[in-house]
Parts: sequence; structure tokens; C-alpha cells
Amino acid sequence: MNQADVSKLISQLRIAVRPKARNLKNKDGPEGRLLKLRKTVTALVKHERIELYYNRADEARGYAELLISNAIRHGDRHKATMELADYWLLEKQLVHKLFKVLVPRYENFNVSYTRMYKAPRDYPGMYYKKSVLELRGNPYPALTPDLSQNRNLLHNVLLDEARKEFKREQLAELANKLAAESGTKSTTTTSVTSDMPKEQKTENETPTTV
Amino acid sequence: MSRNLFLSITKFVQHLEHLFLPNGSPPPALALAGFHQQINDVGSTQNFNLKQLLGNGVLWAVPKHRRTVEKRLNRKFGYPEYVWKPLKVKTHLRTCNQCGHDYEVGVLCPHCYDKVRQETQLMQDKIQEHLGLEPVEQEVIVLYDGEKTAEASDALKGKRIVEMQKQRPMWFTKNLLQKSTQQQSETKEVKPTDLG
Ligand SMILES: [Zn+2]
Repeated sequence: MNQADVSKLISQLRIAVRPKARNLKNKDGPEGRLLKLRKTVTALVKHERIELYYNRADEARGYAELLISNAIRHGDRHKATMELADYWLLEKQLVHKLFKVLVPRYENFNVSYTRMYKAPRDYPGMYYKKSVLELRGNPYPALTPDLSQNRNLLHNVLLDEARKEFKREQLAELANKLAAESGTKSTTTTSVTSDMPKEQKTENETPTTV
Repeated sequence: MSRNLFLSITKFVQHLEHLFLPNGSPPPALALAGFHQQINDVGSTQNFNLKQLLGNGVLWAVPKHRRTVEKRLNRKFGYPEYVWKPLKVKTHLRTCNQCGHDYEVGVLCPHCYDKVRQETQLMQDKIQEHLGLEPVEQEVIVLYDGEKTAEASDALKGKRIVEMQKQRPMWFTKNLLQKSTQQQSETKEVKPTDLG
């Protein structure tokens, strides 16, 4: 086995991982810490967006990323991955969600599967930092403003113009049609003029924003 | 430094005086304010004892040296590079472009986040309502009032539809299509975006 294969043995995470794990003080020691983290990972997979203290969120994020990454790489026929999922997900119906919902969702992702934001605190309030941890592609409203909707961006300007031109064409067609109809009342109709707008309509599709 | 030197020299001189003039110079007398009568009594009578002296609080510990002005200022205001006691100007506060509230740099805007959090909570409650012990196998799509008929059927295929019994909030739009039936403007001025 050469060096390149060795580097593929474990999943490469797309988030920054601290060199040393946090202790996360717990009265039950390391087992208590792991139980807390398992609860957090389970809640994250279940609710897709959770708010909690920063340290625990950051610690649990790495484990959640690893779990999803392994599930994507090995699939549900891999014994070790299944054991990993069984360990980290306390509610066993979520094991199905991991392999049947999250894996298809994240298969072609180039970025991390989770996002983390710093949540606001009351002032002065508690000292501890809070954070929001969420899975990407969740159905909830976005936490950050969508800056791609700025209408001064080049692609939006171009789309706007395309849309206006399309509308103008449609209006012109409508005017032609009305003129033709009013013309038929006075004179005899020609089949060519009535068929023309229909063909044009099928060619144009409504452009949508990016 | 100079003060210590001065004190040690004074002490040395006193020591010399004591060596050469054991009875020559008069002994230093205690000068006390407020206990005039009593001290005179103590001096006149021979039953002088330490307990009485201590009981009156004469020999309690007091600062030996005056603190320098630098020390006093540091104790009062702290150290700018370590701990600064007076109020500080916060330079990491900004105004939100969406709602106009203040927020810390790098942290979500409290007002916008509160709005999102409440809506998220409602959606989560709705989604969890029918989630029992059955395996979760489908993506969830949340639809608001009057959206089910408008949605294309193949987009909903293989997905669990959760319907919210309310109108979709104005700020949570799915497709921000803009109006295209407006007059072409003649001016070159650009209206600012992201306001309000
Ligand atoms: Zn805001």
C-alpha cells in the first residue's frame, strides 16, 4: 500500500478541526462527555438546526461531519460505518435518515455538510458563547441574508433585461393578435397570422433568477 | 532606591550615636495625639505594660512607605495591555443592513436571528409532530397556505410534505422573482440595495 492510499483511509473533513479535543467538563468523565456529544449529534441529524453552547457545538460538529462523510464513502453495506452510525445516533430511526436522506443530499457536495454560526447573547448575560449548528440544505429560513439577490449583480442585471425583452415581445404579439382579430371582423382572415404567435411562444421560456 | 539608601544611612548614624554616646542623646519620645493625659500617666507611673499599649491600638500596622504615583495610577486604572478598568469603546458593533438593529461583527444579528428562530421552531414542531418510531426515509418539504396546488407534482415526489397552517412570511420567500413590468428609467442613478 503506497502513501496515496494511506491518506484515503480516513475521511478528509471540510472543516477546521482543533488539534486537541476539548475536555468538556462532565461529572461522569469521558463517558459523560461522549454521551453529551452523541446526544448533540443525534439532535443535529433529527432537527437539522440546533442552538447550543459554542464549545459543544464545535466539538460535535467534527463527529457529525465524520459520520456523514463515512456514510457517503462506504454506504450502508459497510459494517464499521454501520457500527459508527449505531453508536452516534441514539434514535435508531435516524440511521435510516442518515443513509437514505443525508447521503443522497450530500453526495455531490464540495463543501462541508454542516454550518456553524455564532449566535447572539443577551447583554451582559452569561459569559459563554452560543452558536447555531445546522445541516446544509435544511428546509428552514436562511440565517444569513441572501446576497445573490442584489439586483446590481451582473447576472441579475442581464436576467432583468432578458425578462423585460421577453415581456415586450409578448406584448407586441398580443397587440398583433388583437390587431389581427379586429382586422378579421372587417375583412377575411388568413390562417398564417393566427398561427404565428403560438410558435413564438413555445420558443421562449421564462427566465428565472439565479 | 534613594529612599532606602537614605534610611539605611540614617540608621547607621543612629547606631554610631548609640555606640559613642550611650547616654548622651535624649531617648526618642512617643508623640501621640488624643491620649495626652493617659500617656502622661503612663510615663509618670512605673506600671507600664505592653498589653495596655497594644490595647489602645498604638502599634498597629501602617504603611511604611508612600506608594509612588505610577503605582497609584496603575492600581486605579489598571494596565491598558492587561486589564483596563475604565469603560472602553466597542469598535466591533455594526448596523444590520436588513433590519437596522445593531449586532456584533461575526455574530448573527439578534433581531433577524430571533425572527428566523421563531419560524424555525414552528417548522420543527410541525415536522416532529408525525415523526414516530418509523424510520425517517424522506426529505421534508414545508409548504405554507395555498402552495400545495401551485407546486409541481414531480418536485414533491418522494418527499414528505409538511403543511404549515399559515401564510408564508413575507421575508421568507422561495423565489425572489422581481417585477419586470416597470418603465425603463432615463436616469443613470443607481438605487441602493440592501436597505431596510
Ligand atoms: Zn438584522
